[in-house]
Amino acid sequence: MLTSAELTSLVSRIERILSGVERIGALVASIAADADGHGRALCREDIGSIRLLAAELLSDHPGFIAGAGAVLAPGVLADAPQWLEWWWAETPATVQRLRVDLDPASADYSDYTTTEWYRTPERSGRWSIIGPYVDYICTHQYTFTLSAPVRCAGRFIGVAGADILAAQVERLALPALHAQAADAVLVSAAGRVIASTAAAVTPGMIAPPGRVIADLGTLPWQVRELATPLRPLQLLRPAS
Amino acid sequence: MAPGAVTTARARALFAPLDAGGRAETVARRLVQAITLGLLLDGERLPAESELADQFGVSPVTLRGALATLRAMGLVRTRRGRGGGTFVCAPDEPRPAQLEGMLTLLSAHELRDIGDNRAAIAGAAARLAAERALPADISALGEHAARLRCAGSVTERRRADARLHMEIAAAAQSPRLVRAEMELWSEIGDLVWLPTASAGDVAAIEAEHDELLTAIASQRPELARDLAERHVLRETERLLALRLRLAQAC
Repeated sequence: MLTSAELTSLVSRIERILSGVERIGALVASIAADADGHGRALCREDIGSIRLLAAELLSDHPGFIAGAGAVLAPGVLADAPQWLEWWWAETPATVQRLRVDLDPASADYSDYTTTEWYRTPERSGRWSIIGPYVDYICTHQYTFTLSAPVRCAGRFIGVAGADILAAQVERLALPALHAQAADAVLVSAAGRVIASTAAAVTPGMIAPPGRVIADLGTLPWQVRELATPLRPLQLLRPAS
Repeated sequence: MAPGAVTTARARALFAPLDAGGRAETVARRLVQAITLGLLLDGERLPAESELADQFGVSPVTLRGALATLRAMGLVRTRRGRGGGTFVCAPDEPRPAQLEGMLTLLSAHELRDIGDNRAAIAGAAARLAAERALPADISALGEHAARLRCAGSVTERRRADARLHMEIAAAAQSPRLVRAEMELWSEIGDLVWLPTASAGDVAAIEAEHDELLTAIASQRPELARDLAERHVLRETERLLALRLRLAQAC
């Protein structure tokens, strides 16, 4: 089986982001519990205080994550049917709140409750990593979304999450794949290519079948060895 | 007549004020777009005519011509006296008269060109989606098609239709194709459902979508591209036909 320092560093990087996401989730839960305890309705501005944690996560992983924050389940807030408290930054100094259209009557309505990154933790009660996919609601980039459910008094009240740039994950994964004897691809749980050493197989494609040579522990991803017919394309590989 | 002398008729054509056709129409179209894209909001007061004319780099006469077009489409109204001025009227649901006005401001060649562009983008997106869509993408596409079937108003249909096409481009795993679809839909999206007067038209479009989604789900890239291209070209032809009918009517 594959044991590679590079793959370990990719996994631990994502685990660190996950713990940041879980911190955001815990804060949302405690804000909601606090409002509940005081018999007060939960409002948009209460959630605004996750900004610091989101900004911290963004500055801990500059250029690696595109955004972080939380979304609330419909009906949780007293002053908005849906709410996305999501922060993004081009540089660590420019953290700003993402504005999306949450008015169901508008032509550009962005309904996050239908997305996989919202539904999966809602259904399973556990964190998930969705992607790579084209995020045309938030970042307009090719991303993964790492998301974890937020619960208050046993009730699902939303999701905390972070958008991880697919290009960065590919970059971190490639050295480990290049270290293999044969061409290798990193594949998502759903079967999509995340990184590949073969020019004919690029991120975003459905992964061709191949022998599994490693799984990534906490991440639902695996490394597959590509079957031999793809070998001639190795000529197109950049020298490592 | 000396060679090179400019005949009176040619001089008239050459030196005619641009107001006659092109410029007022161009200004009107830019304003219509700004209103339909929400850059100018309902109830907002436009700058004074002279200021607006300066901004567009046209004469006040041209600007007044453009505003008259918008007024006829019901997109602005002018109030006299103190606190008066020209105000934007942008209802949530664009009225057919406004959309028809928008349509007649586009030339047949422009409409055809936008349609060709849309067919190229939608065709490429459909082909790649058939190669790259996973079961989760296919079920998302199905949900968007179902939402389109349930849509009651033209605005709802437009929104669901745009989302469906963006979702196909997203299933192709291409941020660029998604962006291209987005831009095209914001440019022409309001018009797409305008010529569908009868329930039969709506059913035919839904059948085309179903056929396209089936081709994507059954991983038939060439068929998916072909169906997507034809789907857009049929839409374009409906728009061209409506434009001709409107032009005849005035």
